[in-house]
Amino acid sequence: MKDIKFSARNVQVYYGTTHAIKDVNVDIADKTVTAFIGPSGCGKSTFLRSLNRMNDTIDICRVEGDILLDGEDIYDKRVDPVQLRAKVGMVFQKPNPFPKSIYDNIAYGPRIHGLAKNKTDLDEIVESSLKRAALWNEVKDRLDAPGTGLSGGQQQRLCIARAVATQPEVLLMDEPCSALDPIATAQVEELIDELRSNFSVVIVTHSMQQAARVSQKTAFFHLGNLVEYGETGQIFTNPVDPRTESYISGRIG
Amino acid sequence: MPFLWILIALIIIASVAFVLGRQRAVQSAGGDSRKLHSLPGFYGWNTAIGAMVPSIVILAVWMIAQPIIVNMSIAPMITSVEASDSATLGLVLSNVTNVSEGLDAAIAAGAITDNEVAALNAETDNIKGLLSQVGKVVGSDITPEILDAARASRDMNATGTLFKTIVVLAAAIAGGAFALTKIRPDLWARNQVETFVRYVLITAASIAILTTIGIVLSLIFNTVKFFGMYSATDFFFGLSWLPRFQGESDLGILPLMWGTVYISIIALLVAVPIGLFAAIYLSEYASKGVRAVAKPALEVLAGIPTIVYGLFALLTVGPLLKSAFGDGGVLGVQWMGSADAAMTAGLVMGIMLIPFVSSLSDDIINAVPQAMRDGSYGLGATKSETIKQVVLPAALPGIVGAVLLAASRAIGETMIVVLGAGAAAQLSLNPFDAMTTVTTRIVAQLTGDTDFASATALVAFALGMTLFVVTLGLNILALYIVRKYREQYE
Repeated sequence: MKDIKFSARNVQVYYGTTHAIKDVNVDIADKTVTAFIGPSGCGKSTFLRSLNRMNDTIDICRVEGDILLDGEDIYDKRVDPVQLRAKVGMVFQKPNPFPKSIYDNIAYGPRIHGLAKNKTDLDEIVESSLKRAALWNEVKDRLDAPGTGLSGGQQQRLCIARAVATQPEVLLMDEPCSALDPIATAQVEELIDELRSNFSVVIVTHSMQQAARVSQKTAFFHLGNLVEYGETGQIFTNPVDPRTESYISGRIG
Repeated sequence: MPFLWILIALIIIASVAFVLGRQRAVQSAGGDSRKLHSLPGFYGWNTAIGAMVPSIVILAVWMIAQPIIVNMSIAPMITSVEASDSATLGLVLSNVTNVSEGLDAAIAAGAITDNEVAALNAETDNIKGLLSQVGKVVGSDITPEILDAARASRDMNATGTLFKTIVVLAAAIAGGAFALTKIRPDLWARNQVETFVRYVLITAASIAILTTIGIVLSLIFNTVKFFGMYSATDFFFGLSWLPRFQGESDLGILPLMWGTVYISIIALLVAVPIGLFAAIYLSEYASKGVRAVAKPALEVLAGIPTIVYGLFALLTVGPLLKSAFGDGGVLGVQWMGSADAAMTAGLVMGIMLIPFVSSLSDDIINAVPQAMRDGSYGLGATKSETIKQVVLPAALPGIVGAVLLAASRAIGETMIVVLGAGAAAQLSLNPFDAMTTVTTRIVAQLTGDTDFASATALVAFALGMTLFVVTLGLNILALYIVRKYREQYE
């Protein structure tokens, strides 16, 4: 067992009066890809967003219970959610490049966090981030072109590069491939596998094949409950809970 | 028959046509409305349209044509005026119309009978007094010639109205009957009704467009006329504005343009920062409760008539500024001669434009997708960094568009300038000097007794045309920028 990065205990999430996440306990390991699967509306995205306090931007959302990052409660009053999000980066379902140049998109995070001492430093961060996102060769000649002009798959890799550039410890991905075609999906999946060597990656996905391909650990959510959590191979070949088996064999969903 | 009755009769005929058309359609299908191409109601509408449209067209044409024909045929009766003097002839003819309408009104009121009208004598009877009893005031004296012409005009109008009634009602009945004979189960009644509706919509749209074209054409013709009397070079490049109705005016637009631009810039310097900051607060920071109260409250500003802002400038802002910057003011400077100043008008106009800028910018900022903000937050940016570096740059083209629209309103504003900026057309750099704008000079040139044949009055059209071109240009630029921006996200 690798080091535990995130540790969630008795987590409840409410949207107004709706109880969206019920009593979730989970340990997410470092340098591992963890997949959250489950039918639509089961709360997997909600739980993901509570890991970097993105739910704070929604007025009616309320989180109870403890979520520990490296043993520290991220919902503690002394924790600045902005600092937390710098450590726990996020990639969204739809590619959302800023209406800026490719270079400025990547440099955005390093600039606001002061990660680069000078222009050469920043250039290096941009180059290495784009290389890690397997985008460098495609865009190195047009770093000044707007990020919105790239294709969908390139945009999503740009967003991953942007998240990587901030040098986070954890990367949360909310259905990063749902807006992409199979080729772009394959590229992003390959990328996720490489990212595992440096980060803990948590990915929400609707595609069970994708979960099986990219993750080492899988958590199955259903109606706000964490039904089953374990090694990906075991979940897909030999699930313990009958609900998990129904879902992965296509009977519920 | 009076116009209203004709209209009521037409509506009755159309209603009858509707019922008959509907019935006939059902009958023609042997009582089974499923065999009809369209719903029975469409056949009814089709018949009613057949009755209404030709008759209303005839009615409209007739009502325009009748007075023209009557005037043309009584014009030879006016022998005291040369036929070539069309202006005087027109005045006399309008007197004739007035007298004949007055006589009609007098008869309707029971002050006089038909026979007595025929016996009236212009020399001896007090016709003016009679007409004023029924509320018709005739300016000039009523000569026997005018009275005769008025009698003739009454007779012709009576005959014309009788024929009009007959022809229009006949056309309605004939049109309805013709439409009725056309009804067969395979008639595409629904499509015909829809075509008719489309033409109604086209007519409505063309009225707006044609009016605009009419306004522009009248501006152009009068501007051309003006440039026939006054040199265009002097107008566009003249540095002095000194209209004299006796002639020998200096009509240079530059001092006015200078005032317009200066006051607009002051207004924008007030409105853009305040409006934009208010919009950022409202769209990004304000809680739902604050927003629900503050946004409508801000928009109330937009509902205040500009004349009220003008009063505010005249009575409050002007004296206040003078007490600070004027002679013996608290600052000990003597920059401001009177309360009327470009600064007064500019400040108040800026306040007027705040809701304009803020509500447009608010919409534009809200249109920036939440995904942009999420992306920035997800990278550990604060709210302020997100707004400065992501939201505002994304919204910038739209905001520029909003500012340009506000600028074109500032340029066209009149009342605040009349009451706040004074009337002196001068090229001054001091914002505390009185200045004046293009719009207020248009008002000044056209109010009071104006001779529309002189350059001093016609200059108003040239000023209006210039203003129109400038604001049109700004609006087009603004729309172009806003539209270009919209394409990015949709």
